[in-house]
Amino acid sequence: MASENTSRIRGLRILMVEDEMMLAMSLEDTLRRLGCEVVMAGRLHKALKLAETEEIDGALLDVNLAGERVYPVAAELDRRGIPYVLMTGYGNDMLDADYRSCPALMKPFQADEMKRVAEATFKPD
Amino acid sequence: MPTHSTHRRKQASRQAEDVNTSAPAAAPLIVGIGASAGGLEAFKTFFAHMPADSGMAFVLVQHLAPEHKSMLAELLQRGTDMPVAEAEDGAEVAPNHVFVIPPNATLTIEHGRLGIDNPAPARAHRRPIDTFFGSLAEDQGENAVGIVLSGTGSDGSLGVRAIKEHGGLTLAQAEFDSHAQEGMPYSAAATGLVDYVLQIAEMPAKLADYRRHLATVADRKGSDGARRDAADHLQTICRLLRERIGHDFSEYKTKTLTRRIQRRMQVLQIDSVPDYIERLKAEPRQLELLFHELLIGVTRFFRDSEAWDALQQTVLPQLFKDKGASDTLRVWVPGCATGEEAWSVAMLLREAMSRREEPNPKVQIFGTDIDDGAVAMARSGRYHKPMPGLSPERLERWFVEDGDGYVPGKALREICIFSPHSLVKDPPFSKLDLICCRNLLIYLQPALQDRVLAKFHYALKPGGWLFLGQAEGVSRNAKLFGTIDKKHRLYRRSDQPTPPLSGFISSPGRSAAAPAHPSAGPVPRAGDERLDRDAREALEAYSPAWVIIDRHQEILRFSGGETRRYLEPSPGAASFNLLGIARKTLRPALRAAVRQAFADGRPVVRERVTLKTDGGSRAVTLIVKPLDQRGSELAVVAFRDEGVHDHDGTAPVAADAGNAELEQELHVTKVQLNAAISELESTNEEMKSANEEYQSVNEELQSSNEELETSKEEMQSMNEELQTVNAELISKNNDLSRANSDVQNFLDSTRIATVFLDRDLCIRNFTPDMKELFHLRESDLGRPITELAGQLQSVDLKRDVEKVLRTLAVTERDVIVKGGAASYLMRVLPYRSISDVIEGVIITFVDISERKRAEEAQARLAAIVSSSQDAIVGHALDGTILSWNTAAEKIFGYPAAEAFGRPMTMLLPEGLQDELPRLIRRMRHGQNPTPQSDVARIKRGGEEIEVSLTVSPVLGADGKLIGASTIARDIGDRKRVEEERGRLAAIIEHADDAIVSKDLDGIIRTWNAGAERLFGYRAEEVIGKPITILMPEDRDDEESGILARIRRGEVVEQYDTVRRRKDGSLVDISLSVSPIRDAAGRVTSASKIAQDISVRRAGEAHREMLLHELSHRIKNTLATVQAIVAQTLASAPDPKTFQATFQARLVALSHAHELLMQGNWQGAALRELISRLLAPYRNDQRSQWTLEGKDIEINPKATLALGMVLHELATNAAKYGALSKPAGHVEVKWQVKRDGTLHLVWAERDGPRVEKPERRGFGSRLIVDGLNHELDADVQLEYKPTGLRCTIDVALEAVASERVDE
Repeated sequence: MASENTSRIRGLRILMVEDEMMLAMSLEDTLRRLGCEVVMAGRLHKALKLAETEEIDGALLDVNLAGERVYPVAAELDRRGIPYVLMTGYGNDMLDADYRSCPALMKPFQADEMKRVAEATFKPD
Repeated sequence: MPTHSTHRRKQASRQAEDVNTSAPAAAPLIVGIGASAGGLEAFKTFFAHMPADSGMAFVLVQHLAPEHKSMLAELLQRGTDMPVAEAEDGAEVAPNHVFVIPPNATLTIEHGRLGIDNPAPARAHRRPIDTFFGSLAEDQGENAVGIVLSGTGSDGSLGVRAIKEHGGLTLAQAEFDSHAQEGMPYSAAATGLVDYVLQIAEMPAKLADYRRHLATVADRKGSDGARRDAADHLQTICRLLRERIGHDFSEYKTKTLTRRIQRRMQVLQIDSVPDYIERLKAEPRQLELLFHELLIGVTRFFRDSEAWDALQQTVLPQLFKDKGASDTLRVWVPGCATGEEAWSVAMLLREAMSRREEPNPKVQIFGTDIDDGAVAMARSGRYHKPMPGLSPERLERWFVEDGDGYVPGKALREICIFSPHSLVKDPPFSKLDLICCRNLLIYLQPALQDRVLAKFHYALKPGGWLFLGQAEGVSRNAKLFGTIDKKHRLYRRSDQPTPPLSGFISSPGRSAAAPAHPSAGPVPRAGDERLDRDAREALEAYSPAWVIIDRHQEILRFSGGETRRYLEPSPGAASFNLLGIARKTLRPALRAAVRQAFADGRPVVRERVTLKTDGGSRAVTLIVKPLDQRGSELAVVAFRDEGVHDHDGTAPVAADAGNAELEQELHVTKVQLNAAISELESTNEEMKSANEEYQSVNEELQSSNEELETSKEEMQSMNEELQTVNAELISKNNDLSRANSDVQNFLDSTRIATVFLDRDLCIRNFTPDMKELFHLRESDLGRPITELAGQLQSVDLKRDVEKVLRTLAVTERDVIVKGGAASYLMRVLPYRSISDVIEGVIITFVDISERKRAEEAQARLAAIVSSSQDAIVGHALDGTILSWNTAAEKIFGYPAAEAFGRPMTMLLPEGLQDELPRLIRRMRHGQNPTPQSDVARIKRGGEEIEVSLTVSPVLGADGKLIGASTIARDIGDRKRVEEERGRLAAIIEHADDAIVSKDLDGIIRTWNAGAERLFGYRAEEVIGKPITILMPEDRDDEESGILARIRRGEVVEQYDTVRRRKDGSLVDISLSVSPIRDAAGRVTSASKIAQDISVRRAGEAHREMLLHELSHRIKNTLATVQAIVAQTLASAPDPKTFQATFQARLVALSHAHELLMQGNWQGAALRELISRLLAPYRNDQRSQWTLEGKDIEINPKATLALGMVLHELATNAAKYGALSKPAGHVEVKWQVKRDGTLHLVWAERDGPRVEKPERRGFGSRLIVDGLNHELDADVQLEYKPTGLRCTIDVALEAVASERVDE
C-alpha cells in the first residue's frame, strides 16, 4: 500500500480516465488516499470535456476507452501543458508512435508503482 | 633284304677274313656313296671338290628306276676327270675310278671285286645302299667308307652300322639346299654311328685326311692289322674306362679292343696312342664315344637261321616237355644289344606255344645288355624295314605297323623284359631253362670266357640249355656242358658242381694279369717258343730230367722221357702231385728240398740221394730251384743221375764197407727222420691251427646257412607276393589295353576335334578331326601347337593354355577358323593324369557355325519382340504360355516369371473362355484364324481392358502346328488417356486458381477461367501474347529468371509476388511454375499457377488484431480482479467474509465471461445473464424470483457491468433482503422504451423490512456509480419498507450488442 503521509502529490487535482468500472473505482480510492482530488471520466467524450474545462494538475489516461483511443484527450492536455500518464493493457509498442515516449503504466500495476510514476510526472523536483 | 646266296657269300667272306687278317695296308680306300632323291646334285658337288688322283675308289649307289637306262654315269663324267663307269659283275674296284650302280640290280663287293645280282628285289625290300655298305664293311674293314647323301627314307642306316662295326669311316650330309632331301642322312645320323655330319663340299678333304692317317699308322700295325703300340697301352685305357665309366674291358680280347681303339683314333686322326690317352683324359665325351664303340654289336633277327632251326627242332620240344600252366619257362639273352635276338627267341617260343595243345607255361625272356641305349632301343622294339632274317609271315604275325616302322605285338611284349646288366660285373639270373648268348664270348679273353661259362652253368637249371654263336664253344669247360649239336652250338648243362664263381663283383684293384687258372700263366711268344723247343730237344740227352711244379707240388710241365726214371704212378686216382708220384725212396729228400726251396726262395741241392730201382740203387742229385724270386709260385725240380750208388766211389764188397754203408745209411736215415719229424711237427702245428680255423669257419658257415635258410624263406614268400602282384598287373594291363582301345574308338567317333598338349604346349595326341581343322599329321606329334595355331584368327592360344594351367578352370572361347567360314567353340581344359597331376591341357573344337547363325537370327527377333509396344505372347496348343514380352507385362500386369506356364484363359473374360480352343481349331484346319479385332481381356487384378488382337500360328520344322502367337495392342489405354485429358481440362478450367501455360519463349499458350478472373484478361485476348504483359514495370527481369530455371528443368516453388491486372491495378499473388516435358523427357513448356492472396492478407491482419484484443481484455480483466480484491478487502471485516464475498464476486464475473465466450465474445442474452446470477437462489420446489421482458442481446461491456451490478443486488438480497427469507420474492422486469432507453427494474417483496443503510457500501457504490460511469446509465436505488427497488435506465445503444460483420 502506498504511504499517504509521504505523498508528494497530496492536494493535487487529478483527472482519471478509465472505462473499466471496477478499475476506475479502485484507482479513485488509491488517488484519494494519496491526498488527491479526483475527477473521473469513463468515456472519451466526457473525458475530453473535462480535459478542456477542469482545472487539473495532472491526468491518468486509459488508452482504450470502450474501443476508442484516448489520444484526443492527451492532445488537449499537451496543448494545456498538463502532465499525464498513459495506462494500457497492450504493450508499449502498441501505443501510437507519437506517444511512445510518454510516461506509461502497463496494466495491471500496483498502487506503489502508480504513486512513483504519478509523483515523477506530476511533481517533478 | 639280301638274297640267300649273298647271305652265304657274306658268311664265307667273314671266315676268309678271320683266316686271312685284313686287307693290305696299301689298299685304297673304297668309298661307298649312297643317295636317292636329290642325289645327282649331291654327287656333282662331291666330285667338284674331289681331286682325280686321290687314290680312292668310289662306288655310287643311287636309287634308280629299274626299267629305265640310267644316264648317271654320263652326267657325272662331265664333273670329274676320273673315269666314271657303270659297275659290271666281277670288275675290280681300282683307285681313282668311279663306279655307278646299274638299274635294277643289287650291288655287292667281295675281295675288292664288284658283284651284281639281277634283278633287284621287290621295291618294298629294296635297300641297295644298306646291302652294298654291308658287303663293303665286311670286305674292306677299316678301308671302307660309307657316305649317306640326300634322299628320303632310311636306306643306308643299317649299312652305316655295319661299316662302323668293321672299323670303317661313316659320313652323312649336313646341310640341305632346295634339291636335297634330309630323310636318309637324318636317319643315318640318328643311329649315332656316323662319325662326321658334314657339308658335301667338306667331305673330300676329310676323306683325304683319313687316308693319310691310315697310311701313317700302317707301319705300326702288326700282322693282324692291330697296332702294336696300341696294345702296349691297353691297360692304361682300360683303367681309364674302369675308373670313369665303371666298366672293365681288361678281359676283352686284346685284338678287339685294339681295333676299336684304333678306329676311334682314326676318326680323331690322332697318330700316337699316348696322345689319344691324353685326349681321353681331357674329354670325358671321348671316353663315352670309345665306350659305345666297344659295345657295337651287329645283330639281327634269326642270325644264322640254320642254328635257329636246330634250336627250334632240338631244344624247344625238350623245353616244353612236362611243363604245365603252373610252370615257368625262363630264358636269358645276355648281350642282347638292340633286342633282335630276344625277340627272335620270343617268336620261336610263341610259335611253339601256339602249336601245343596242352596248357602253356608262363614264359619269361630276359634280355640284358651292358649298353643302356641299346636296352632302351630293344625295349621300344621299333624296327625299320628291311628286317633281314625275318620272314614276311613272321613280320605279319608278330609285328604291328607303327608309323614308318614296326613294333612287336602284345603277344611278344608280354613275355620279354629288358634291362641293363653287366655279364661280368652283375650276378647272373637263375633257374633258367635256356641261355641264348650268341657272338658275345668271342669278344672275351679265355679266362673271362671261363668265368662267364661258369656263371651260365650256375644260372641254368639242371639240364638247362645253352645256345652259343657260330664261333664260340665250351671245349675248355667240357665238364660243365655237354655238347648236343656241335655244329649249331647247342649245349646242355651237365650235372657237375659249379666251379667257384670268382666273385661277381670285380674289384678295381684286381690285376688283369692275375691268372684265374694255372694254365693262364704268362704265355711265351710264339716265335720264342719254337726256338726253345728246338733247343730243348737238342739238349734233352745231356740235361737232367726235370719237372715244373707249383707251390702245391702239382706238376705243370715234364721234360723229356728221362723223368720216368724218377716217377712212379701210384694206384688209385690219377694225380700230378710230385710227392705222390715220385719214387718212394726219393720222396723224403724231395719233400724236404721242395719245402726248403719254397720257404727260402733259393735253390736247394741234395746230393747223392739214393734211388732204389729194380736194377739196384743209384745216386741222384736233387736240385729244386724256384723259377722266380721269393714268393714265386713255381719251381723246377731237376734230377741228375750220378751213376750207380758206389758209396764214395767204391763198390759195396766188404763188411766194413758194408758197415760203413749201413752207418752212412743210418746217418742219412736219421737225418731224414729228423727232417720228417720236424716236418711232421710243423705239419701238426699247421693242421691244428688249420683245424681251429676250419672249426670257426664251420661255425660261421652254419650260422650263415641258417641265415640263408631264413632269407630263402623270405625270398620265396616275396616271390609269391611278386607273382601275385604280377598277375594283378597283367590283368590291369589287359584292362588298360581295353580302356585304351575304348578311348581310341571313342575319340575317333566323337567327331570333335580334340588335341592333347603337354605342359610345354607340345602335341601329345589328337583325334582324326584335328587333321582337317589344323592339318595336323602324325609327324606333328611332339611339335608345339603354337607353330600350328596360325589357323585360328586372333586367338592367343598360348595365353589361354597358360591361364588354364594356372587357374585349372575351363576356358571357353568362340574362335573363327581362318577364312571366317566356320566358327568353333574352343574349350581348353586341364589334363589331369590318374594321379591328379596336371600334365597339360586338352583343347576341343566344336563346330558351332550353325548354332551361331541361329543364335544371331534369334537375337535379332528377340530384340524386336522385346522392344515391341504390343504384347506378344507365345503359347502352346493347350494355351500354356511359353513366351511373354515386356509389353505383355505392362499391358496385362503379370510379370513374365508369373505368366510362364499358366494358361492363356486367365486373360479371357467370363463367357469367352472357349475363344482360344476355337482359334486353335481354326488354325488346325489351316485357316488364318483372325484378322485384327478389338476384344476384351482381363488384366491382373480383374480389371477389364480392351485390346486389339492378332493371332498367328507357330509351325514346327515339319510344318505342323505347334502353337500360336498372340499380338495384343492395348487400346483401352488410349481411351483412358483421352478421358483423363478431358477431366484434367475441366479441373483446370474450373479451378479457382489462375492456371496458365507458356512456352519456353514466354508466350502464353493456355489461359483458364481462374486466370480470366484474376487478371481480367479473356483467354482470346492473351493467348499468343508474351506473359510479360502481366508484369509490373519494376519486375521485368523476374520472368527471364523463371524461364531460365524452367529450361534447366527446375520447379519454381510457390512464392509471393505481384502482377498487374488488365485494369492496371496490382494484385498480390502466390505463384508456382513447373516445367512440362514431352514423352522423351525434354522440357517443352511451363505451367504456372497463381492465387490471389489479398483476402488472405486481410484475414491475417484481422487475426493479429484479435490477438491484441484478447491480450487487452485479459489484462483489463486482471485489473478488474485487482480492483475487486482491493474493494472487497477494504469493506470486509474479516478474512472469512472477504473470502466468501470475493469468491462470489469472481463467480459472478466468470458467469458473465462464460456467457460472453458462448456468444463468441460478441455479447450475451440478458435473460440468460440474470438467470445464471440468480440460479443459486432457485429451490427445488419453487423459484424465489421471476423474470419478465423481451430478451435482448447486450454487448460485452454491458454484460460485465450489468453482471457485476446484478450480482451485488442478488448478494444484498440474499443477505438482507427478500432472498434471505423463504417467502421472499424478487421480480426483475425490463422493457425497451420508445425513446430507445432500456428500463430495468429490480423489485423485492415479502422479505424482511428494509431500512436505508447509514453508510453507503461498496455494493451500492458499484450499483449506482459503476453503471453510471461505465454505461452512462441512470440508476435509482430505493429502500422501500416492502422491499428494495432498483431502477436502471440506460441507452439501448450503449448496451445492445452490435454484431461485427466480419
